[in-house]
Amino acid sequence: MTELITKRPTVTRRPAPAGVLLAAVFLGVLLLAGVAPWLLTGQDPLHAEVADALSSPSLEHPFGTDQSGRDVFARVVYGIRYSLVIGFGATLLALVAGTVIGVVSGLASRVVDGVLSRVIDILMAFPEILLALVVIAVIGPGEASLLTAVALAAVPAYARVARVRTLVVKRSSYVTAATALGVHPAVSVARHIVPNLLGPLLVMATMGVGTAIVSAAGLSFLGMGPQPPTPEWGLILSEGRNFLATAWWIAVFPGLTLTATVIATSTLGRYLQARGGA
Amino acid sequence: MIGGTIAVLAVTGMLAGCAQPAATQDTTITFGIAGANLSAGHMDIHSTQLDVGSLVLRNTFDSLVAQDLDGQFVPWLAKSWEISDDGLRYTFELRDDVTFHDGEPFNAEAVKANFDHVVDPQTASAQAASLIGYAEEGGYYVDTEVVDEFTVAVNFSQPYAPFLQGVSLPQLGFYSPKVLEEHADELKAGGPGITVGTGPFVLSEYTPDQELVFTANPDYNWPAEGSEHQGVAASDELVIRILPEDSSRVGALTSGDVDVAADFTPSMADQVGDGFTTTAVELPGIPYSLYLNEADGVFGDQKVREAFRIGFDIEAAIDSIYFGQFDRAWSVLGPTTPNSYDASLEGSWPYDQDKANELLDDAGWTERDSDGYRVKDGQRLSARWIAWTPVADDKASLADVIQSDLKEIGFEIVRDVLEPAQYNESYGPRDFDLTDWGFSSPDADVLRSHLHSGGFQTASEVTKPQVDSWLDEAVATSDAEVRQGLYENLQQWNNEQVLIVPLFVPSEITVAGDSVTGLVYDLYGRPAFYGASTTVGG
Amino acid sequence: MTRERRPHGRRGRLLQLAGRLGGVVLVVWGAATAGFIALRLIPGDPVDVMLGVHARVSEAVRDQIRADWGLDEPVVVQYLRYLGRLATGDLGTSYQLRKPVAEVIGNQALPTVQLTALALLFAVILALAAALLARGVRARRVVSVLELFVVSSPTFWIGLVLLTVFAYQLRWFPSAASGGFAALVLPALTLALPVAGVISQVLRQGLDQAEAQPFATTVRARGVRPARLVLRHTLRHAAADSLTLTGYLVGSLLGGAVLVETVFARQGLGGVTVRAILGRDLPVVLGIIVLAAAVFAVINLLIDLAYDRIDPRLRLVAA
Repeated sequence: MTELITKRPTVTRRPAPAGVLLAAVFLGVLLLAGVAPWLLTGQDPLHAEVADALSSPSLEHPFGTDQSGRDVFARVVYGIRYSLVIGFGATLLALVAGTVIGVVSGLASRVVDGVLSRVIDILMAFPEILLALVVIAVIGPGEASLLTAVALAAVPAYARVARVRTLVVKRSSYVTAATALGVHPAVSVARHIVPNLLGPLLVMATMGVGTAIVSAAGLSFLGMGPQPPTPEWGLILSEGRNFLATAWWIAVFPGLTLTATVIATSTLGRYLQARGGA
Repeated sequence: MIGGTIAVLAVTGMLAGCAQPAATQDTTITFGIAGANLSAGHMDIHSTQLDVGSLVLRNTFDSLVAQDLDGQFVPWLAKSWEISDDGLRYTFELRDDVTFHDGEPFNAEAVKANFDHVVDPQTASAQAASLIGYAEEGGYYVDTEVVDEFTVAVNFSQPYAPFLQGVSLPQLGFYSPKVLEEHADELKAGGPGITVGTGPFVLSEYTPDQELVFTANPDYNWPAEGSEHQGVAASDELVIRILPEDSSRVGALTSGDVDVAADFTPSMADQVGDGFTTTAVELPGIPYSLYLNEADGVFGDQKVREAFRIGFDIEAAIDSIYFGQFDRAWSVLGPTTPNSYDASLEGSWPYDQDKANELLDDAGWTERDSDGYRVKDGQRLSARWIAWTPVADDKASLADVIQSDLKEIGFEIVRDVLEPAQYNESYGPRDFDLTDWGFSSPDADVLRSHLHSGGFQTASEVTKPQVDSWLDEAVATSDAEVRQGLYENLQQWNNEQVLIVPLFVPSEITVAGDSVTGLVYDLYGRPAFYGASTTVGG
Repeated sequence: MTRERRPHGRRGRLLQLAGRLGGVVLVVWGAATAGFIALRLIPGDPVDVMLGVHARVSEAVRDQIRADWGLDEPVVVQYLRYLGRLATGDLGTSYQLRKPVAEVIGNQALPTVQLTALALLFAVILALAAALLARGVRARRVVSVLELFVVSSPTFWIGLVLLTVFAYQLRWFPSAASGGFAALVLPALTLALPVAGVISQVLRQGLDQAEAQPFATTVRARGVRPARLVLRHTLRHAAADSLTLTGYLVGSLLGGAVLVETVFARQGLGGVTVRAILGRDLPVVLGIIVLAAAVFAVINLLIDLAYDRIDPRLRLVAA
């Protein structure tokens, strides 16, 4: 993402606002925790010290402990990995699949484009979580299914943008000129269309990561994601929900981290958008 | 255990005398249960294998005999019965004044129609058929015979001791023969006009996953012998609310939305505070246990099984998770199982990680991989634990602890929580290393399905001739002492072989508001609402 | 769905309406077919689903059940039968509940409709309040931070937090889905908050644009009070923009209902959906897919039609 910013020469170089910097720092810490969670906590997220179950936040357990006596902070930190993998993985998958479908649809004959764009429109009418649920209904619950379901549910949105952009570029003078000069359409696609798509789609994807993380956590909360005792955020919330009357910390901290992650990615996304992405 | 087992029962029972049985107008008693799976085709007592069916439908279906709290059988719909000397024929003399909710008479024909329905393959009975002793091959049950209008006989090919036990349960209760004829395919869904029995309450409304409304049967006058309450049910209406979330049941009870709530855990009971009576009945039968598949995988080695059993601190876990209210189990039968429990096993396998480590070293699991797990011949010491959804919070915590403790001795547990259909796919071909459940039953014969070669709940397909012969002998004899001896052999055998690892003896916990009187509980700790009412406004 | 150039004249309109209704049927058929094919690909035996765990039945009984449900017939026959039944409004019979799927869905529709309707009401009230309050610079900053927060928070987490604060700590509302209005407030609020955040964002942008237009200045010059101006004139213009979102919002509400119903252990279609998916109750899953397709196709149709009414200028814009 930072690469993207430096590569864009178009915009005046104003320093980013504090909120954006904060978001970037937060995401940096998350990435670090995703790669090396042991740097942030000395505790084992699976270690169940049942005698310490449901103890409130303290120096030893900054986020308290859960119903099995596991350290909630360690579980949140180790859970980052799952959320990031699903968030970025699903978004990347959706981005690639959506771009391919959108470009194909934009370049194809009227009939093919008509059918494809119709299907995309119809799928767009469904909320992502319902689409993801349908995908899970077919491929069954689990960690890999979760990623696939979230990705597939997001494909139509990318496909639609990719298609519209492709149409615009296809009709632009330089592409028609190139075609008239006998340049192979595939070359045009590679040289003109895809680069033109990437900017807006990447900005969209930055914001999409947040949505994907929330969708995944929601599905996992419904029991359609990883197995317990995986420290996945949605699962932590789902496992702890019967203990909220006595232990509010089980819900509050994982949820706050989740919300902060989404805010950070969308803040960054909006910033990129404002700097001339879309 | 909460306040001793059976002693608690009497307390609520005796209070019945204080309340005026002649109910004031329109009295309703409400009962909250978890019951989430009831709607999944489990409203039919003849086919369901789930306890929730019995819990809900006991109010609508009567049995031939009742089992009192001492384990003795007393007359109910049968005035008396006789067992032939060879143990092959049970003859029941029926009451002649009993009618079904739809007005059909209860008689020998009705009993036959029901037992025929239970063993009919179309019924696909998952429990009632085995309670009656029926099996397609190697069963005990032969047929039911109408002797005269109010005399019925049941014939067996071999003596089958648990039969009276079976006919005392709601699963072998009686539908109106008219319903069996006209609505046989709707029984699993159930509902008014379909779930029709002879019991004190008539099902009048049913909203799946939400509630069941029962109205008092105005003609009812045939409670089991020894019932304090007589005549029509004490409350005019019984409403059973389905509240699958633990917190909703606690909330509904404390806010007064329901008068009685079942399926409580000790931690929930802990939350309700004053003004409520908690009843805990320690369940007979098989404690909540882990079932090890010794046919292949790591549990093929007895040393590994032994190390597994003592490798986690079960006592501390149970104490903490159940607030000291459940006892850890030592034997594969619960202490309250009649004529069978072997108390000598208590204390015989305490938690001992050092010994567990030694056993695993001896078994050749000496190397460790980068995650700290033991390795032998390039294979990790790892066992796959399958469970079906939903896993209760307490069981999940217990599993967390077991997994965490065993990791300390380098033993990996991989937990696979599966949907029932997927679970069956793994369970059927015995494709797992361990699985878990508790199986309450007031008869030690429950061990037959769990240890007998080819038994439905036997975790492996390994044949065990000695065990089979003990089990077969025990089911055929009605001599209490002989049975006790045989079941002690079986418990000791399991203790040496470590095939079933009992974890704790669960109690059925039910909490009632103090305004509720006349509630009585059966051997399973299930409340019966026949004599129960609330004293609203005095 | 995309808006196309609208033909003029009554006849043209009617023809187009017929075409669109045909589109709705096509969408439902497509969903039913795609769903049917997808669900046939699922491994596993439906008989296992029907029996549940620890059912002691023989292979003969299983075959019997298979025959009873027509599962032993060729897939093509099963598909044609399914379409035939679908045409008559019969969605099949649930494996688990042993009841007609239409009845299962019908019985659970009311609680979901109540929940989403109240949530929509809450969302609109909250969004209007936020949009009207956020007229000053400082208020605007506070409101936009709040918006960002609720829009970014997962619905189910908002539910858990509201439950913890208002049901467990303050005890203002019941924690159990005991029926009655009080039990509906927290779930509806949970569902409403993120939606309110989105509506409020869009509404504010629309208001800003509308206020900057010449007609607003004219009206103000006639001495109309600012609050009245906002309410009467600019909101109407802004509303046309917000309508673009209605489809999205209905979707969010129905999608969110799945999670909210689970958090609050409420009855409803969400619960039915989750249970059907986890329990592999294929006829119910298929029924919900078909129903959802029908609902969304009809909603989109209605939105397209509504566009014509609210702001005639949009016809030109869209074309």
